[in-house]
Amino acid sequence: MNALTASTAIASGRVRLANVRQRSLVEAKLRVLMVAFLFLLTGFGALARIVQLGLFEEPPERRSLAEALLPPRGEIADRNGFPLARAFPIYALWFNPKALGADGSSLVKSPEEVAAALMQVFPDADFNDLVQRLKSDKPSYLRRRVMPEEANRIFAMGEPALEFPRENQRFYPQGSLGAHVLGFVDGEGKGHVGMEKVLEKQLLDPAQRGRPVALSIDMRVQGALEDELGRGMMETSAKGAAGIILDVDTGEVVALASLPSFNPNRSDMAYNDLVFNKVTNQVYELGSTFKPLSVAAAIDAGVITDLSVRYPANRPLEISGFSIRDSHDFGDSLNVPEALIHSSNIVTAQIADKLGSARMKSTMAALGMLERPYIELPARGFPISPRSSGKGGQWSRLSTMTVSYGHGISVTPLHLATAYATLVNGGLWRPATLYKVDPANAPEGRRVFKASTSARMRQLLRMIVVDGTGKSANAAGFRVGGKTGSADKPSSKGGYNRTSVVATFAAAFPMDKPRFVVIVMLDEPQGTVANSFQRTAATNAGPIVGRVVPRIGPLLGIVPDDSRDIDISDLSPLVRNGDGE
Amino acid sequence: MIASANRVRSAGWLVLLGLCVAMVLVLAFRVNALRSQIHRAEARIIALKQDKMYLETEFETRANQQQLKVWNDVEFGYAAPDASQYLEGERELASLSVPDMANTPEPIRVASMDDRVIASAAFPAMVSPLSGKALTSANDTDDSEAQVRRARMDHAEAVVTLKDRLGTVVEVAPRKPVRTETVSEKERAVAPAKKPEKKVAKAEVSGKVETAKSDKANKAGKANNPKGDKTKSKQAAKETADKPAAKKAKARAEIRAAGRKEAKATG
Repeated sequence: MNALTASTAIASGRVRLANVRQRSLVEAKLRVLMVAFLFLLTGFGALARIVQLGLFEEPPERRSLAEALLPPRGEIADRNGFPLARAFPIYALWFNPKALGADGSSLVKSPEEVAAALMQVFPDADFNDLVQRLKSDKPSYLRRRVMPEEANRIFAMGEPALEFPRENQRFYPQGSLGAHVLGFVDGEGKGHVGMEKVLEKQLLDPAQRGRPVALSIDMRVQGALEDELGRGMMETSAKGAAGIILDVDTGEVVALASLPSFNPNRSDMAYNDLVFNKVTNQVYELGSTFKPLSVAAAIDAGVITDLSVRYPANRPLEISGFSIRDSHDFGDSLNVPEALIHSSNIVTAQIADKLGSARMKSTMAALGMLERPYIELPARGFPISPRSSGKGGQWSRLSTMTVSYGHGISVTPLHLATAYATLVNGGLWRPATLYKVDPANAPEGRRVFKASTSARMRQLLRMIVVDGTGKSANAAGFRVGGKTGSADKPSSKGGYNRTSVVATFAAAFPMDKPRFVVIVMLDEPQGTVANSFQRTAATNAGPIVGRVVPRIGPLLGIVPDDSRDIDISDLSPLVRNGDGE
Repeated sequence: MIASANRVRSAGWLVLLGLCVAMVLVLAFRVNALRSQIHRAEARIIALKQDKMYLETEFETRANQQQLKVWNDVEFGYAAPDASQYLEGERELASLSVPDMANTPEPIRVASMDDRVIASAAFPAMVSPLSGKALTSANDTDDSEAQVRRARMDHAEAVVTLKDRLGTVVEVAPRKPVRTETVSEKERAVAPAKKPEKKVAKAEVSGKVETAKSDKANKAGKANNPKGDKTKSKQAAKETADKPAAKKAKARAEIRAAGRKEAKATG
C-alpha cells in the first residue's frame, strides 16, 4: 500500500514536472514570439515613419522661412522693380496711461509740458487735442506714423507712458509720387482709389503676395512728369494739371499724373477731393488736339486725296445759326497742312463736313472715344458725346463739325493718349494698361487707320511742332510731333466761358519711329508773367512737353539725335510759315 | 553553469540594447542640435532679410524722386544730356578725328622707362621698425618676380645697388648686371656708394630703417653719428662695386652683422 502510494506519488510528481516544463517552454516560445512581433511592429512603424517623412512631409524649415518673409500685403513695384508700395513696420506713438502703475499720475511731467514738447517734434499737431489725450485715462494713438528720428527725440523726453509699437502699415517710399495710380490703404487695411483697390485680392492672397506686382509705371519718368507738370501748374497758376505718358506699341502707361496730388502715406487725410483722377475720370473738351484725328479719318476714308487742295478760311462758317470761327485770320484759304499748323477750325470743320457724320462717328467709336477708357483703375469717366439724331443714330451736321475740332465731345486725357498712340503707331488701337507688358506679348490691337495714313500723320504732326503752334514743345534732338489744343470751358450758364481754358498738348516722339505719346493738360491756366499773359496751350502746355521729353527720353532708351528726323520735305513746300492758336 | 551562461548572454543583450539606445539617443540629440542650428540660422536669415528690407526702404524713402529733384536743384544742377553728348557707334566716333594735314608735326612721343626701378630706389620696401625685416603687404599679390624681389629688398640693398639698377633699364635684378664694368666705371662707382652706406649704418643703429633718406638726410646722419661702423661699411661698399654679382651678397651679410653689433652696443 505504502509502496503503491509512494510510486503513484512519484509518478504524479514527474508528470507534473513534465507538464510544468512543457508549459514553461510554450510560454517562453510565446514570449519570444511576442517580443519578436513587437520588434517587428516597431521596425515596421519606424520604416513607415521614415517613408512618410521622406516622401510626404515637407521640410519644416522652408515653410517657416517662406512664411516669416511673406508680407501681410503684397508689394507693388514699378517696371524696373523699385518698390512703390510695401508693407512696412512703422513706429506709432501710443499713449499708455498705465505704464507707471495703475494709480498715480501717468506722466512724469505735466500733460501740458509733454504736449508742448511733442509740439516741437510735430509742429502740425493740435496742442489742445494732445493735452486732452494725455490727461485722459484711456490709452490712444497720439500719432500713427513716426519717423525713427522723431521716435528718438520723443524717447529722449523720458516719458515711459509714450510707447512706440511697431505696426505693419502700408508705406509708399516715393511719397505722393504716382498717388493716383497706387491709391492708398486705410486704417483697416482696405485698398482705395488706385491699384491698391484693383489688386486687393491678389495682394492679400497668401499664394501670390510673396511676389511683387510689377506695374508699367517707370518711377523716374513719373517723377519727371510730375515735377514738370507741377512747375507748369505753378507758373501758370492753373487749377490743376494732368499728364500721361503711354507706350504706343504696347499700351503701357509709363507715367500718369494728376495734380494737385495727395499723400497716400497719410491715409487718414487721403480721402479728399484730390483723390479724383483727372486723367482717367475727368472729361474735358480737349479742343484742337482732335484735329489730327479728324484729318486722319478723312485721309483714311479717301476724302482728302490731295494735301495741297485749299479750303476757304477767310470768314466764319455759318451752320444752323452757329458760326465756327478761327482765333486769327489766316488768309483767304488754307490747305490741310497749313490748317493743322495754324489750327484752323473753319477748315477742319469743312473737312469733317465732307467726311460725313457716319464715318466721323465710326472713327471716334473705333478710337474708343464713346465709351469709358480702357485701364485697370476703378475711376474711369464716361465721355460726353453729341446726342445722336437722324437715321442710324448719327450726329447732326453741326455736331460732326464741332467734334472735328474737339468741341461738343468731352473725353478724358487717357482717351486722347490712346487715340494719339493709334494715330502714330501705324494705326492700331490698343487698350491702355497699368501692368507691365512683355513687348512680345503685346495685345494685337484693332486697326483704325491704314499704315499709310499713320505715316502721313506723323509728318503732319512733326510739321506742327517744327513750323506751327507746337514750336515750344520742340525738344532738340527728340523729333517731337504733336498738336496744341486750347478749349474754352463750358460755362454753367450755357455756352462757353471765354476766360477759363483747358490747355492741352498731345505729343509723340521720336516721330521717325514713334515710341511714346505724351499728353499734358492744364486746367484753367491764368495769364502770368511766366507765360506772357497768354492762356493758350502753345505758351503753357507746350513748354512742359518740351521740358519733359529731354528728361524722360534717355531714361526710356531714346537717344537725342540731331542728325535724324522724319522726312517732311514733300510737305514743306505746301506751307507758308505763320502763327496760329 | 548553463544558467550563468544564459545570464551572461542576456546581460550581453541588455548591454547591447543599452548601447543601441544610447547611440539612438546620441543620434537624436545630434539631429535636434542640427535642427536648432538650422532654426537659428533661419531666424538669422529672416532677421537679416528684414533688416535689408528696412534699409532698402529707408534708402528709397530718403532718396525718393522728389528729394533727388530738390537736391539736384540746390546742389548739383545736373541737366538731361543733349544730342552732342551721345555717339552712335564707332563710325560716329571716327568721324570726330581729323586726318593729318600737310606739314603736321609728328606727334610727340615720350620714351618710357621701367619706372619700377626708380620707384624701388626712391621708396624702398617698407621695413618693420621693430624687427628690421621687410614687410610684404597683403595687397602685393602680383607674383611677378621683380615685384616679389622689390618687396623683400631692404633699404641697405636698395641704396647700395642703386647705381647698378639705374644702369639697367629693364632688368631689375641687382645681382645680375647686364653689362661688364670697365675700370673707370668701377672707380666712379665707389664714390657714390660711400654716402648711402653711411646712412645705412646710422639708420640701422637708430632702428629707423623704414624711410627713404635723401642725400641731405645722409649728411645729417653722418654728422650725428660719426662713430658708425665706417670701415666695415666702406669696405663692403667697395666690394659691392668691384664684383657686383658674387661679392654683394657677402657685403650685405657684413652690413647686417655690423648693424646687429651696433644695435647690441647701443641697446
